[in-house]
Amino acid sequence: MTWESWIVATVSRTLAYGTPLLLATLGEIYAERSGVLNLGVEGMMVVGALSAFAVAYTTGNPWLGVLVSAAVGGAFSLIHAFASVTLRANQVVSGLALTMLGLGLSGVLGRRWEGWPLLTPVKEVSVPVLGKIPVLGPALFEGQNLLVYVGMALAVVLWFVLYKTRIGITIRSVGEDPATADSLGVNVSRVRYLCVLVGGILAGVAGGYLSVAYRPSWTDGMTAGMGWIVIALTIFAFWNPLLGMVGAYFFAMLFHLSFRLQAWLAPELLKTMPYVFAIVVLVLVSKGTLQKRMGAPSALTIPYSRGED
Amino acid sequence: MAHKPRFKEVNVLKRSLFVLALFGLLASVSTFALAEEYVPGTPMKVGFIYVGPIGDYGWTYAHNVAREAVEALPWAETVYVENVAEGEEEAFIDDLITLGCDVVLTTSFGFMDGTVDAALKHPDKIFGHASGFKRAPNLMTYMADFYQVYYLNGIVAGALTKTNKLGYVGAFPIPEVKRHLNAWAMGAKAANPDAEVHVRWIEAWFDPGAAAEATEALIAEGCDVFAFTEDSPTVVQVAAQSDLMSFGHYGSQMYTFAPDYVVSGQAIDWAAIYVDFLTKVYEGEYTAHNIQNVDYWWLMTQGAVYPEASPGVAINPLYIDALKAYMIDDPVYGAISAYDLHNLRFAQFADPGVTFDPFQGPIYDRKGNLQVPEGFLLTVDSLITLEWAFENVVGPWPGEPD
Repeated sequence: MTWESWIVATVSRTLAYGTPLLLATLGEIYAERSGVLNLGVEGMMVVGALSAFAVAYTTGNPWLGVLVSAAVGGAFSLIHAFASVTLRANQVVSGLALTMLGLGLSGVLGRRWEGWPLLTPVKEVSVPVLGKIPVLGPALFEGQNLLVYVGMALAVVLWFVLYKTRIGITIRSVGEDPATADSLGVNVSRVRYLCVLVGGILAGVAGGYLSVAYRPSWTDGMTAGMGWIVIALTIFAFWNPLLGMVGAYFFAMLFHLSFRLQAWLAPELLKTMPYVFAIVVLVLVSKGTLQKRMGAPSALTIPYSRGED
Repeated sequence: MAHKPRFKEVNVLKRSLFVLALFGLLASVSTFALAEEYVPGTPMKVGFIYVGPIGDYGWTYAHNVAREAVEALPWAETVYVENVAEGEEEAFIDDLITLGCDVVLTTSFGFMDGTVDAALKHPDKIFGHASGFKRAPNLMTYMADFYQVYYLNGIVAGALTKTNKLGYVGAFPIPEVKRHLNAWAMGAKAANPDAEVHVRWIEAWFDPGAAAEATEALIAEGCDVFAFTEDSPTVVQVAAQSDLMSFGHYGSQMYTFAPDYVVSGQAIDWAAIYVDFLTKVYEGEYTAHNIQNVDYWWLMTQGAVYPEASPGVAINPLYIDALKAYMIDDPVYGAISAYDLHNLRFAQFADPGVTFDPFQGPIYDRKGNLQVPEGFLLTVDSLITLEWAFENVVGPWPGEPD
């Protein structure tokens, strides 16, 4: 195997497998930046996957499916927003409940869709000129689909919004010190609702990508734990969308390589590789000083209400 | 004079003990009531424990199709539980017994110990365990094994490959999967001495993401024909996306995912075993005391397994011409086309006398050890504990003997 074909195959699969991780991580970053921990990502991804598949199958239009998955993921997240922001309930419990609800609901409702191949998946695209660049061309610009590029563009846009615009400052301040933000006239509730909604929408689209582009079909529980990886990646990214992109792609690369490298290393060892990496990063990050410096939103998981400390 | 204390005035400890004793009595009475043995000739309730979802279109789907055949029997009623994790089956088996099941069938290798414990705990109920090897007076084992079908598919794969690299996505490196892999590899070698079988393990029965990436890894290595043990059509789909051929696993429902690329596959009819066994229970031949030695090891002769591309079609018509044109130089039959060799072996497997077995010697593993001497066959016990890799297998092989 030439090193060029290794690079092309690895990069290509990294983008393919990393895109749902990236999309959901971007959403979770926004939700957590505003101070709301959303552990319901897995549930939102899986209902997004089912709704995208169901719509794409019945209408023949996969992009309509993606749109619906965004709406469904968003609607699901509103439940979490209501529980966390308005009712000020325990965010961990609310998120976990939604994950279980999502998995169960999609399992039951999805029965009728199991086993049907999607004959109209998202089409592969090749970028015309860029695709001809040696090595990187075929790796990055051929045989991917539009959602992959949407993911990359979104990472940049969302990073820009978060760090370079007024909206971003507002979001970050709500996550750091909602009392001060409130006294400055920011509607903390509204910001948090919107950020959780963004998180839900992106998680839904991530799920939709799985069932409409990556492996066009529906199977009960097809997200297979991706939502939990997303939550770890959010921390790994230090709540920064660009680092989120790095993390998502890095994890995806390790996941793919764990199969490629089986010819030389034990499969059991390789299977743990991406998860060991996630644990190592989480351990490093949770060391106190690192957290303070790199800035987990200080008000993360703490419900806000005016007048309370 | 003190009045006799009312129940609610008795101290809390005594009250609690009394209630507990009452529950204990009720519980033991109820289990005593449940410890009725099945009476032959009466309506039977059969419970199924599945390791995955019915919608996997693979292993569990096939069992469920067979369960529906059992349900259609006038004297049988069925219930099932899906997605039971291996190691947690005992609680669900107890639930099914409480629901009144006379027979409980557990459909995964990993349910073995839980089923054995349940059989010991409920000596008057009948149990069956798929793909296992531990039995009891009320616990039988059953398996419909694919190795003959894999051999046939191997002949086809070896004939059709252009790169001489076949790819296998394996679930767990256990004897069952290794046996199937080896049979596929042997069939490939019979048709094509230059063929190699590259293997990747995903360490799961059901993991579409892992199966997709493993397939992509094999594609990157140059493989152009695929077989697999994973309970979803992912490998078929991913191979088809790159215009590569594959063999469906557990039935022709996978054909719909890539009608141009599924060449054949391993199909199974668990109903053959279920109906046979349950009928014998209904007629009183099998009871909760005499099935210690009942071990179904059903193959092509009994119709439990067969190669299938789509319903009723063994080989995808798109590939028949290529198979007829591919000539093999067979040591026994001389110049024979792959198509004819396939059909010849098919007939030999289906024959009640089973006149050919892939595992007949001499067979060398890839380390050069002679695993089966000339003139010998492998017994069922050897087959179900097989750990070695055949000559033309390339790739990781956990548990390989020296």
